[in-house]
Amino acid sequence: MTAPGFDELIHAPTRLSLVAFLAATGWADFAVLRDSVGLSDSALSKQLATLEDAGYVEIRKAFAGKRPRTSARLTPAGRTAFDGHVLALQQIVAGTAGRWPSPAGRPGSRSAASDGEPAPGAFHPDQRFPGQPGQG
Amino acid sequence: VNDQTEQIEPADAARALNEIGRRREQVIRRTAVPAWFYWASAVLNIAFTADTEFLHGALSWAGTALFAAGMLAVIGLQLRTVRGAPLRGDLVAPGAGPRVLASWAVFAAVLVGVTLAIKLSLEAARVPYPGMIATAVFTVVFVPGGLALTRYQTAVLVRRSGGRG
Repeated sequence: MTAPGFDELIHAPTRLSLVAFLAATGWADFAVLRDSVGLSDSALSKQLATLEDAGYVEIRKAFAGKRPRTSARLTPAGRTAFDGHVLALQQIVAGTAGRWPSPAGRPGSRSAASDGEPAPGAFHPDQRFPGQPGQG
Repeated sequence: VNDQTEQIEPADAARALNEIGRRREQVIRRTAVPAWFYWASAVLNIAFTADTEFLHGALSWAGTALFAAGMLAVIGLQLRTVRGAPLRGDLVAPGAGPRVLASWAVFAAVLVGVTLAIKLSLEAARVPYPGMIATAVFTVVFVPGGLALTRYQTAVLVRRSGGRG
């Protein structure tokens, strides 16, 4: 079970698009990511490096014949952070933000109590809201 | 108090959730079978049938080889597109995968059944070019049917992934 946790690193618009795309796939080719999210090569490299430094993304460099092929995917930590971020966003939309003790995790992030249990009456991680996407 | 989440407006959070759903749907749609795949397969099948009905000997074998190479190229192109960012297996709710596979199986069974039945009936009635006529019917069913099937499967996957349907 993932605890809700707002993540500033993921919430930046470009990184949100990138992480949301990666959350729906496995290894994604650099070119596919670039074209799908609409970034330049350098901008995508920079965003991937930021996410890699945070431990959210794993980058693989291989060769397809003689052509270099770079791929990226979310790490388990990145997936957990993303799932927590989605739950936090759902909580904000539902108007129940801040109803459990904080925080834990890496600097800049917000998450549930260290024991992972929300306070009584708080949004439950398994709860879905009508018309909203579920966990990525 | 979770001060960070309090700084985010509900409208901003809703926009972010919408963007997340949009990206999920983007991954699903890019793995769907594209329209060109159905058209290319139909053209290759017509050419192959013409080859088997009108050509003989080495020319017929060359045509068969070209058909096989063409089909491999079409399938390879589609697989390469899918492999660029494959859909995560656990993205959709349980049941969606078997439903999509079942719809493919039913579609293939109907296509093969209808095409074979027409060809055998025409042969029995000694109608000329039974293969070409059966393949023409196959194409009329295959292309629009395939496109409709893809739309159905994509809708199922989007809906069962929790995204916007």
